[in-house]
Amino acid sequence: MLEYDILIVGAGGAGLYAALWASQNPNLKVGVMTKVYPTRSHTGAAEGGINAALGNVAPDNPEKHAFDTVKGSDYLADQDAVEIMTQLGPQIIYDIEHRGVPFSRLEDGRIAQRPFGGASFPRTCYAADRTGLVILHTLFDQALKQGVEFLNEWFLLNIIHNGERVLGVTAWDIRNGGVHFIKAKAVILATGGHARMYWNRTSNALGNTGDGTAAVLRAGLPLKDMEFVQFHPTGLRKTGILITEGARGEGGYLINKDGERFMKKYAPEKMELAPRDIVARSIEREILEGRGCGPEGDYICLDLRHLGEKKLMERLPQTVEHARVYEGVDPVKEPIPIRPTAHYSMGGIDTDKYGQTEIKGLYAAGEAACISVHGANRLGGNSLLDILVFGKIAAEHAAEYVAGVEHLPTEGSEYVKKEEEFIKSLMNKEANENLSKLRKEMGDIMASKVGIFREEKPMVEALNKIRELKERAQKGLAVVDTSKKFNVNLIQTLEFLNLLDLAEVTALCAIERKESRGAHYRLDYPQRDDENFLKHSIVRKNEDGSLSHGWKEVVITKWQPQERKY
Amino acid sequence: MNQEKAVLKIYRYNPEVDKEPYYREYEVPVDKAQTLLDALFYIQENLDPSLSFRFFCRSAVCGSCAMKVNGISRLACKTPFKNLVENSQGRPIVVEPINFLPVIKDLVVDHDPAFNSLKELGTWLEPKKPIPEKEYRVPPEEVKQYEHPTNCILCFACYGSCEAVMDDPKYAGPYAFSRVYRYVLDSRNDEEHKKEMVKKAMEVGDIWSCVQCQKCIYVCPKGVRPAEDIQNVRGIAAEYGFKDYPGVKKLQHFVDWIYATGQINRLALPEEVYGVDPTPLINKFRERGAEVWEVPKPLPGLLEFRDLILEVMKEKKPHLDIDFHHVRKIDKRVEEVFKADVCTKVTQHFEEKKESFFQRFWKKLGEFFGTS
Ligand SMILES: Cc1cc2nc3c(=O)[nH]c(=O)nc-3n(C[C@H](O)[C@H](O)[C@H](O)COP(=O)(O)OP(=O)(O)OC[C@H]3O[C@@H](n4cnc5c(N)ncnc54)[C@H](O)[C@@H]3O)c2cc1C
Ligand code: SF4
Ligand code: SF4
Ligand code: FES
Repeated sequence: MLEYDILIVGAGGAGLYAALWASQNPNLKVGVMTKVYPTRSHTGAAEGGINAALGNVAPDNPEKHAFDTVKGSDYLADQDAVEIMTQLGPQIIYDIEHRGVPFSRLEDGRIAQRPFGGASFPRTCYAADRTGLVILHTLFDQALKQGVEFLNEWFLLNIIHNGERVLGVTAWDIRNGGVHFIKAKAVILATGGHARMYWNRTSNALGNTGDGTAAVLRAGLPLKDMEFVQFHPTGLRKTGILITEGARGEGGYLINKDGERFMKKYAPEKMELAPRDIVARSIEREILEGRGCGPEGDYICLDLRHLGEKKLMERLPQTVEHARVYEGVDPVKEPIPIRPTAHYSMGGIDTDKYGQTEIKGLYAAGEAACISVHGANRLGGNSLLDILVFGKIAAEHAAEYVAGVEHLPTEGSEYVKKEEEFIKSLMNKEANENLSKLRKEMGDIMASKVGIFREEKPMVEALNKIRELKERAQKGLAVVDTSKKFNVNLIQTLEFLNLLDLAEVTALCAIERKESRGAHYRLDYPQRDDENFLKHSIVRKNEDGSLSHGWKEVVITKWQPQERKY
Repeated sequence: MNQEKAVLKIYRYNPEVDKEPYYREYEVPVDKAQTLLDALFYIQENLDPSLSFRFFCRSAVCGSCAMKVNGISRLACKTPFKNLVENSQGRPIVVEPINFLPVIKDLVVDHDPAFNSLKELGTWLEPKKPIPEKEYRVPPEEVKQYEHPTNCILCFACYGSCEAVMDDPKYAGPYAFSRVYRYVLDSRNDEEHKKEMVKKAMEVGDIWSCVQCQKCIYVCPKGVRPAEDIQNVRGIAAEYGFKDYPGVKKLQHFVDWIYATGQINRLALPEEVYGVDPTPLINKFRERGAEVWEVPKPLPGLLEFRDLILEVMKEKKPHLDIDFHHVRKIDKRVEEVFKADVCTKVTQHFEEKKESFFQRFWKKLGEFFGTS
């Protein structure tokens, strides 16, 4: 049986950085389990940059960064956690710089910083438009250097705990097939976000299916603020693939069919660089009100032509490539067709500011976690910082915790047996449903009814439909490929089941929050309502599979809620 | 609606049940797929759910989906399907796993050996001491130098196309040496660690096995140029003073002989590089009546030529210093053979000329900036 002091699940930015800090202590046995090779993780897709108040190009400090973050979150972020993040920001940037991240530089050799939406100063450190890629690869190289032990291509199934302490996890070995119990004194979940519930309208990788978050729900533990999903304003029309905010940071215009820079109506000062939720809603509104471009009026144009070929190739090479390959459009010569795309999951596993859950030894970090530092809306560039800061904190906390406890006696065979039976039941079922059809239905329901503009009636319909889908899946969705080795069909089915669970929670929380705040915008309750809803929503699953919904206080330290205007 | 269909001929192998690999053909409507990856999804969703392949980002950043398409390694998600169909001109599109890595199932190969090479070569940063309190100062020009190698997504398309891998299973692979180069260029990296990395590139990674076929550059989906990086690392190896490797000796031979005589010396090459006695070879040539030049006859005007070389080497950072000790030996042999006093006092000559060389250099600079 595999046995670790600390098992980290996920090898994106959060998981790898946690691994680097956890394995500092050579006496601890640390393992990292990941369903794809570490360098495939979605952190590698982050383009724009990472925020920290270095003050390299403008006078800045962590307190201002904290205020911008709190304001951006529409006051739903826990302010103590935000302060930790922004205080540690510069130190974390220097640390990864010392480990080799090749940041873009100023003439004097210091790290360059650029403006990003919702920030009062140019605060975003970057490496051209592949910041996430170079951070992920640098951390991976460092993990090789530190001899971190990886379980590559292993799939987390469930979290095992005894109501007080975590015992380990069950997992499927993708390459060889087969269920294993992995014993661990502490488990850090760094399994990433779940925006794939919007299936065809997301910027996320195909595997961003919230597996860790769904496992936590199944384990009877709370999820937090699941109604908050950030829509990035600029996804490619056909695929949802992201055009980085950097494109607007560098001076790109958003244009409607009349050639108007319509952001002047919605955010006259910040224009295209207003926070994401505001820009995304403005675009969606232009489209809904008939000012969209193209024969169907279903998109808006991002115009970069005035930046010129040289600057485009130098500063935004990836944007140029994406537009060319996935949209068939050359941004040097034509505007890029875009529409908002589900991008980031603010909600997730409920943790405190050290990443701890209710269960001792069970931690969460990164996009899977909801600490919460992003509240109702995340600022661009804050996620990469979040995953590193809280990856480190969770690792240090876990390392301290495991030093003081012994493994609990358990062989795990009963858990393995249960999983094997479940997988067998999926394979032995009569197949009446088609995975890709169900998945598309889920995505369409979520995008049209629990998307950018929300309203009671359609959301209730959505919740019922998702529940219907769950039933249909339960009855007729089978795993048709029964082989053991590299069974893609099995993995995709498990991922879809996870998404369905989380879609249900998202719809439920969205219905319960009868106000508009950050990314959650209700046509029937267009105002923020601090009296009733300055609270985190909390959902857990009961033994009988039903969900219970409740609330939890927001931590406010320095900044009393004000109207959020840009 | 366009009903045009394309045929994909796909390599299938499930070691659990198949004795050996086979190919199966599938028909995919052309307008159902923007990229080859979409076409594979179409097959998986509609025709055969048991087909295994890797994917994740679907946008050419994760490196999961490299496969061999009509014989060439490519990313499925970055290969527009329509173009592929057009270029195949009605023939089936053949899709196979990339070469040289063991097949796990269908199009899925074992990436472990390729990742392990990075570990073996030590491609990472050991921060140079003293570590600054804030960031290291790094000029933007330096970052630009390693921009292309840091684009690498470790998809191993280059590995699957590499001529050196085919001949030498120990060869670490193009991407691995690009990573070595990236970390060697980094001024934040500890000098000892850089040397260690370069040494391992030679001893563990067999960097001298590269035949410079340039295929890695051709197939790389991210604009990385491993073949060039390899040349540069080889040069740096010599610069670091790793003289005891055949490749470095060869380089040294080229530099010294060209400096001394204006040409390389094919007869001396085996001896200088591998320590092989050339006499039997020379005798064989003689037996067959071939004219044998033990040393090439120096060019007329050689001394000026040498000045030129020195000047060029001063301006362009030399990858190799001329080994004057060696050159003097060559000069000696030239003297013996030709009884000519062309270059006995090379070093002395250089010392004399050096002064005037620098004078000219400073003067040029002065002219350039308009000062006297
Ligand atoms: C296109 C795009 C651009 C972005 N740009 C920016 C930006 O410029 N700045 C910024 O701050 N943020 C950006 N973000 C957000 C940011 O990239 C992510 O929030 C962040 O990278 C998440 O990191 P993570 O480590 O939490 O998760 P991920 O990087 O998603 O890693 C998740 C890990 O968990 C593993 N995993 C998941 N499920 C399982 C399972 N069942 N079993 C085993 N392992 C599992 C995966 O293998 C993976 O290793 C962007 C996001 C997208 C989609
Ligand atoms: S140039 Fe060298 S590394 Fe590149 S493919 Fe050819 S042999 Fe391999
Ligand atoms: S160098 Fe290019 S082809 Fe080779 S692994 Fe890196 S990205 Fe892939
Ligand atoms: S799926 Fe990520 S590179 Fe193709």
